[in-house]
Amino acid sequence: MSRKWMRLDNAALIFPAIRKRRWVNVFRLSATLDAPIDPAILQAAVDDLKPRFPSMYVRLKTGLFWYYLEEIPGTPQVREDYAYPLVLMQEKELHTCCLRVVYFRNRLAVEFFHSLTDGNGGLVYLKTLTARYLERKTGARIPAGEGVLDWQDKPAPEELEDSFQKHANKYVLNDKEPAALHVRGTYEPNFLHLLTGRIPADALLEASHRYGATVTVFLAAVLAESLLQYQQTRIGRDRRRPVKITVPVNLRKLYGSRTLRNFILTLNPGVDPRMGTYTLPELCKVIGAQISAEATPQRMSGRIAANVSPQQVLPIRLAPLPVKNLVMRLVYSVRGERCGCLTLSNLGVIRLPAEMGEPVKRMEFIIGPQITYPHNCGVATWNGTTYVNFIRNIRECELERLFFARLVELGVPVHIESNDPR
Amino acid sequence: MYCVKCGVRLNEGVTACPLCRTPVWNPETKVEPTANYSARYPRPPKSKRYPILAFITILLAALCLSVLIFCLTQYGRVAWSGYVMLGVALVYFSMIFPFWFEKRHPLIFVPLAFLLTCGYLLYICLYNHGNWFLPFAFPVVMILGAITTASVALFRYGKRRRLRKTGALLVVIGCSSMLIEMFECITFGTEMFTWSLYPTCVLSLVGLFLILSGVIPPWREYLERKLFF
Repeated sequence: MSRKWMRLDNAALIFPAIRKRRWVNVFRLSATLDAPIDPAILQAAVDDLKPRFPSMYVRLKTGLFWYYLEEIPGTPQVREDYAYPLVLMQEKELHTCCLRVVYFRNRLAVEFFHSLTDGNGGLVYLKTLTARYLERKTGARIPAGEGVLDWQDKPAPEELEDSFQKHANKYVLNDKEPAALHVRGTYEPNFLHLLTGRIPADALLEASHRYGATVTVFLAAVLAESLLQYQQTRIGRDRRRPVKITVPVNLRKLYGSRTLRNFILTLNPGVDPRMGTYTLPELCKVIGAQISAEATPQRMSGRIAANVSPQQVLPIRLAPLPVKNLVMRLVYSVRGERCGCLTLSNLGVIRLPAEMGEPVKRMEFIIGPQITYPHNCGVATWNGTTYVNFIRNIRECELERLFFARLVELGVPVHIESNDPR
Repeated sequence: MYCVKCGVRLNEGVTACPLCRTPVWNPETKVEPTANYSARYPRPPKSKRYPILAFITILLAALCLSVLIFCLTQYGRVAWSGYVMLGVALVYFSMIFPFWFEKRHPLIFVPLAFLLTCGYLLYICLYNHGNWFLPFAFPVVMILGAITTASVALFRYGKRRRLRKTGALLVVIGCSSMLIEMFECITFGTEMFTWSLYPTCVLSLVGLFLILSGVIPPWREYLERKLFF
């Protein structure tokens, strides 16, 4: 029997090519409920959603010229969570299913290989899964809306489209960026440290407005300030590098797309400490201006074109997959992570139907560390609390300490939690 | 509970701040900290290195064995297969064997490679009834081994004062070329100071220049100012 298959979207192409034995780009979205998770009900909810989300229940397969995603015969088995999030998805697992559903006590979480979708697409799946789980558990009907899809509907073609191809400009915007500072530390294999800062959303918003910035810009500025301080105390003047925060931009809002697949591009706003010192208001101003200048449909379509155009060149399309992988790795090492210090991905305020407001106590977003930089930061706000999740694969947490201590100094109360067993 | 150093609020029952490791203690709290994650660990990923290493080991062993069998059947003795087998062993132990270990300590494996080279040269010398091993090959390999090990140790375990270290190494390499020529002269009866003077002079001068540049900061700054490009 032939199974359904789909091409990888433009952003997804890079992730299988650059994956390593000890590194795969995975992110996690989780919802904590008011009662312990029932694994049998969760499994049934996962099974129910398969026809609605055909782009999620897939595995990675290798073709002669490209990777592709193939429908899986069953559904992924839900399992208990491990001691740390984002456990490495090994090659065998990627060839079985690129999606992982886990639970621990009251929390259910979904981990996605980044080739499937981005944070916003994944959030739609998590919301719908949580709604279906609660429906099965309580028997109450949860209406579709606020990102929850009707699980009995058929998937719309625009949910499965590669929106990059649709919105690429004719003109390519190709800006070269210098290499940024990379935090170093003692690598710890087989464990990821997670530090969660719980922050009252109104206090954070008030602090951001005090500096005339949005929450994302304010957090990016505080992070940049912490990185500048880190660099100042550790790295000699001659070897200092630009401090830049990689900020993903949700293109759905810019182009009105409904795709559930990847549709983000990243910007690297930041400052060069070699030009002089920067205060927090200056950082807010510079980073805010850089993001506003770039995150426009016109500029973004040029950036999309820069990614899409090589995919349309015939000799590149005809090159065998191993050759493409080699080239993509080379390009990524020069133009990818090298240009940012760490990623700050803010999903914004998560909204759910009123029926889910009571049972859902917490929602979080965690992104895995990259190949070269050991930290990453995922932010999500739910029910008046902002969850800032720092993940790292090194022992030292100096950057997080500087960041959270600075927020406290600015009058933003922070409640810290850790998965560290020590 | 709050951390006195960072000012962040902490979960009840924790013993130290997760950010700065400052101990926190509240005599009134009796709450046990609740874990956010389970105590279950995944199985660490299997390394693909070991099967590849095992394959290479078997392949090289098979090569050695087939060469040995060929020599024994053809000549009735080890003959030239000794060179092949020991050469393969030398390459294996210097370049492949270290990869069996998780941590490859260069101060163990670099001297080991030079010792094995000595062993290989000794075999060649004995097999050919030569008398060049002890007076020439052994001291030369030992000198080269000592210089390589010292440079690995200097640059791996200390990242400061690179200019001085490089200078000192160049002087040592320059002087050792004279030693090597001395052993050549003793063993093979060649003339002394035919070639070693050139590398000794050039390397020592460059080395001394680098050492002085490292030792005298104003001079280094002057050179940087004049020679920047």
